[in-house]
Amino acid sequence: MTSITISAVRPRTSILDKSLSKGKSEVSLSCYALLFSELVQYCQNRVYTVPELQNKLAEMGAEVGHRMTDLLVMREKSGKREVKLLSVLLFIKSTVWKSLFGREADKLEHANDDDRTYYIIEKEALVNKFVSVPKDKGSLNCASFTAGIVEAILSDCGFPAKVTAHWHKGTTYMVKFDHAVITRDKQLEDR
Amino acid sequence: MTVHNLYIFSRNCTLLYYAEWNRLNKSGMTKEEEAKLMYGMLFSIKSFINKISPLDPKDGFLHYKTSKYTLNYLETPSGLKFVLNTDNSAQNVRGLLQQLYSQIYVEYVIKNPLCQLNEPIQSELFKNKLDELVKSSPYF
Amino acid sequence: MSRTGARLDAKKVNSELFTLTYGALVTQLLKDYENVEDVNKQLERMGYNMGIRLIEDFLARTGSGRCYDFRDTAEKIQSGFKIFLGITPTITNWSPAGDAFSLCFETNPLTEFVELPDHCLNLKYCNILTGVLRGACEMVQMEVASWFLQDQLKNDSVTEIRVKFVKRLEDAIPAGED
Repeated sequence: MTSITISAVRPRTSILDKSLSKGKSEVSLSCYALLFSELVQYCQNRVYTVPELQNKLAEMGAEVGHRMTDLLVMREKSGKREVKLLSVLLFIKSTVWKSLFGREADKLEHANDDDRTYYIIEKEALVNKFVSVPKDKGSLNCASFTAGIVEAILSDCGFPAKVTAHWHKGTTYMVKFDHAVITRDKQLEDR
Repeated sequence: MTVHNLYIFSRNCTLLYYAEWNRLNKSGMTKEEEAKLMYGMLFSIKSFINKISPLDPKDGFLHYKTSKYTLNYLETPSGLKFVLNTDNSAQNVRGLLQQLYSQIYVEYVIKNPLCQLNEPIQSELFKNKLDELVKSSPYF
Repeated sequence: MSRTGARLDAKKVNSELFTLTYGALVTQLLKDYENVEDVNKQLERMGYNMGIRLIEDFLARTGSGRCYDFRDTAEKIQSGFKIFLGITPTITNWSPAGDAFSLCFETNPLTEFVELPDHCLNLKYCNILTGVLRGACEMVQMEVASWFLQDQLKNDSVTEIRVKFVKRLEDAIPAGED
């Protein structure tokens, strides 16, 4: 659209005047599952391959993640965010997981052979609960959506990383931090 | 007590699922033909029952009984039809039919986005859970 | 009353996850379609797909039978909102003929963090709800039409959905008979 819209309708009470919700209200799981299923089907109709589909899901997850960062940092951390690598990972494993999925992620592990790589492990991912993957799409993991959320939160907190979802011990999220993040964290430790 | 067989029809007359357990006597026709006749018979019974009912029939047709077996019928408000044939000693089979609907059909067909609602059910998970429920029921 | 078997545990998820996931979906639609009208349509269609499945969950959970009249329907729709979204809209503004009513929402988890930007004033952000109503009612042999009369996102004090009865749908007849 090229025309300039002069907003005729503006809320008298802006959304910013409302107090932040406590995040305690709930909706039914079946309702969420069906919404998520529509989201997956919509994405599926617009792409050709499984990796493309996972990317699209991750992109949409990122939308959720960016908003979660602000919300959680404000509400749970009184405006302060983590600066250490390990504490930001624990923030994801406990605070983020609890508020999104009602419980902590099952495990957090450090890769033996690579100091940039961490794993967040979840036996039963909420988004995979009702999905049975057809054989021709064997590797598809809809938890890419969650991976997108995690990636966005990490990068908003100043820890850019690549996060991917895999079928391993349930669902495993592989978090691979940028080199700069690891270097910085080492420097912090040395002080 | 024993359970003979089960038909599930969609609201558009499609046979969604058929299973049999202890069925000794075959009708000698194809599954499709048999299902069509079953549906037609139920349809006629239902509409006639509603015509002759002295009061609003509410749930309407529930079961019929022959000297050898009982046909138990559950139709949901959304038009799904569950038909379970048992022997005559099985009592209160309606509870089992309700369970088939709410614990098996809704959980493993409705909530599985890959199951189309008007096509025969292919899901292995559904098949296994249904079999489990029927076999663990006191009527089996 | 027949036995309904063991009641299913009504499992829940955090409504913020729901709010933000829906937001991500709407955002994606706005990126993919040029026309806001098309986004409205797409949302309605997705709602329809959800509605035809949600109704089965509703029936299985509540064990309710077919509605006696449209007032009964209105109450069932209201309890559906309670079960699935945790909110209770008020039923008001019945038409004299009793074939249309309004659902008014004070709060709505779909719009929790939402503010419409200026270029989206034609967007019916919650249009998915009208689709859900259409899909769910169609499965119980009822055609309804619904639309937004007021919308809190557009500066109205409440969000109001008008629901109108269109017609009863007939039961399917087996092939070869009429």
